[in-house]
Amino acid sequence: MQFAPTVLTPAEEALRAEVREFLAAELPADHRPALGFAGRHDPHFSRTLAERGWVGMAIPPEYGGHGRSAVDRFIVAEELLAAGAPIGAHFVADRQTAPALLHFGTEEQRRRFLPGIAAGEVYFSLGMSEPDSGSDLASVRTRATRTDGGWTVTGTKVWTSEAHNNHFFAVLCRTSPMEEGSKHAGLSQLIVDLHAPGVTVSPIPYLDGSHHFNEVALEEVFVPGDMVLGELGSGWRQVTSELAYERSGPDRWLSTFPVLREWLRERPDLTDADAAVLGRLAARARAIRHLSLSVARSLDAGEAPAVEAALVKEVGTRFEQDLVEALRDAAETELDQGSGSLFRALLAEAVLTSPSYTLRGGTTEILRSVAAKGLAS
Amino acid sequence: MSDDRTMLTEVATGLFRDLCTPEDVVAAEPTGWSERLWTALSESGFPAVSVPEEAGGSGGDVADACALLTVAGRFAAPVPLAETGLLGGWALAAAGLELPEGPVSVAVDRPDDAVELTGGRFSARLSRVPWGRRSTRVVAFAESGGQRFVVSAPTAAATVTPGRNLAAEPRDTLVWDDVELADDALAPAPTGVDTEALRLRGALARSAQIAGALARVAELTVRYTGERQQFGRAVARFQAVQAHLVTIAEEAELARLAVEVAALNARPDPSFPDVAAAKSAAGEAATIAARASHQAHGAIGMTKEYELGQLSRRLWSWRDEFGGERHWSRELGRQLAAEGADALWPRISTGLVGA
Ligand SMILES: Cc1cc2nc3c(=O)[nH]c(=O)nc-3n(C[C@H](O)[C@H](O)[C@H](O)COP(=O)(O)OP(=O)(O)OC[C@H]3O[C@@H](n4cnc5c(N)ncnc54)[C@H](O)[C@@H]3O)c2cc1C
Repeated sequence: MQFAPTVLTPAEEALRAEVREFLAAELPADHRPALGFAGRHDPHFSRTLAERGWVGMAIPPEYGGHGRSAVDRFIVAEELLAAGAPIGAHFVADRQTAPALLHFGTEEQRRRFLPGIAAGEVYFSLGMSEPDSGSDLASVRTRATRTDGGWTVTGTKVWTSEAHNNHFFAVLCRTSPMEEGSKHAGLSQLIVDLHAPGVTVSPIPYLDGSHHFNEVALEEVFVPGDMVLGELGSGWRQVTSELAYERSGPDRWLSTFPVLREWLRERPDLTDADAAVLGRLAARARAIRHLSLSVARSLDAGEAPAVEAALVKEVGTRFEQDLVEALRDAAETELDQGSGSLFRALLAEAVLTSPSYTLRGGTTEILRSVAAKGLAS
Repeated sequence: MSDDRTMLTEVATGLFRDLCTPEDVVAAEPTGWSERLWTALSESGFPAVSVPEEAGGSGGDVADACALLTVAGRFAAPVPLAETGLLGGWALAAAGLELPEGPVSVAVDRPDDAVELTGGRFSARLSRVPWGRRSTRVVAFAESGGQRFVVSAPTAAATVTPGRNLAAEPRDTLVWDDVELADDALAPAPTGVDTEALRLRGALARSAQIAGALARVAELTVRYTGERQQFGRAVARFQAVQAHLVTIAEEAELARLAVEVAALNARPDPSFPDVAAAKSAAGEAATIAARASHQAHGAIGMTKEYELGQLSRRLWSWRDEFGGERHWSRELGRQLAAEGADALWPRISTGLVGA
């Protein structure tokens, strides 16, 4: 295990101060904080953030990005999430698609997509899950067959977050038939235009009543040959590493933090019991943050802290849920999404959406298996 | 970790490995004390780490002392390593009093304690004093004539009623009845040297010991579940058992890092938010990890000889000593509430602070 304590450098502290200043100016005092990275789709905010150089931070300058460190990204992300900033439009493209393009994409693909991602203007969804394939992703049935100049893709993706707002999605599909004993072979990732002919995006109503995820039906969709992401047939390797990138960042333990802050704002006269709840949550948040920051630092050192990342996500997402229930218990209220109190409205939203934290991006159970294998070795 | 501290940790680990085996800990349980270990530690100067050399200590800082305590916690060391230097030695040195030969203990004004100092005469009833019966002196605070004093009370002059924590570590009640204190046993307490500061150090020390014990619990559980076979395979192959291993690893690392940050930020003294957060998190981690490790071990973990029980019984004791989770969470929460909603995030996102 390599969680080492780490100090922010003066330059990193300065970055943090800049982001705080930006957020204080940019977010109206009475804005309703978004809960987590999927909280709100706001292209204007994404573009404004990008103008400051805080989108595409992992992308090298030659592709319109900023070539910043993992710790710098961590700092920006945690400030945005703590403030409940509306980062839903660009976050997935920035966190997940851009690194995949950088690692696996062709030069042409990088030139085509990365500058738009870095500008906060091009948004991606993830096309992995299907009605019959969840945790067992290698069983996907969406199929691509060769045709003149590219591929014809047919299949159905589900739970596709923000497909109705985004431009593209990376579709995991079979490019050659499943062979006995090698179910991970023959899978590829194709970049599919969500507005291409044959693509039908239909909402799947989300538990809190919002339009968050979708079913995306692909019916003989033509995908040009140069839109294969990475090598043909290495989709499985790419997707599993793609899952690893997104494991341990601040988006895995800060989603519900705004609820805690608003509780404190509305209830400044805490009883002893309330103070103990606040202190306990703050202590645990701090401790988890030390771990999460330490992973970012070790990524910058060129290490591959896969087990550490899985542990942080597993413990962090459970903390996000734990926070919500602790506050519900402390607040002694009846939940109502339409409450005039910001705290109560957020609490209601958090209760409705919190089961998703331990599902999205790899369930807790799957993460435990990943981590346990690492611990035993 | 600094090179010096890494070396300190390595040397200490070697010493404990030789002189504080699980069998040694079992053997020491009736008295809660290992003379052989204490002698070796004293010869290396370990008990006085973080006490300035000018004051008769071994030098080093709070982080060095915590690194040592983490090792001691890992080996369930039956000696008052924390009490002698980081706690008692600190107060004595700050007040210009001599660091005595032998173990030192401390009292932090527990609810049923009473202290009276008039002129040079000392009466007190101090409860749950760690290794009270083994200490040469017990450090306490007393007020007399409107002034606060550090008292280095000689244990020889006290009546001792033995008590123990769950791991049979001595937690004794000591009573002094109108005892005349020598000159070297009393000095005015400088600002910042008080019960609160001592309790903070005690909480940090126990957190460090918890972190050490948790690291060992994690290793033991991985090892045992990898060896124990049921249904034709190692029980670690079962997902339900793997979930326990993951929980233990998370809690152990979470506590360790919280303690390390608090210790490294102590320049020179530990800060309240750091320690409050560390003790609250470490106490919770102790509870969760002890439960998970016992579950993963099955009945073997319930035997007194097996190493796990030496560690879990300490975890169940240390989490409450110098303030439990409720205490530190409440105190931290009070401060956070006083600072207001907009100060909450800056507080939480303060980690290790640069020199
Ligand atoms: C809010 C939200 C947004 C999402 N957005 C997207 C998106 O944009 N794109 C996308 O492709 N997907 C998305 N997903 C889907 C997500 O990736 C899946 O929910 C996740 O991979 C689990 O799959 P499943 O829901 O089908 O559950 P299943 O895999 O059917 O699992 C059901 C239960 O069985 C357990 N289980 C399954 N296999 C094992 C095993 N081997 N060992 C132990 N337990 C097991 C699971 O942990 C779970 O508890 C989203 C999900 C949520 C909740």
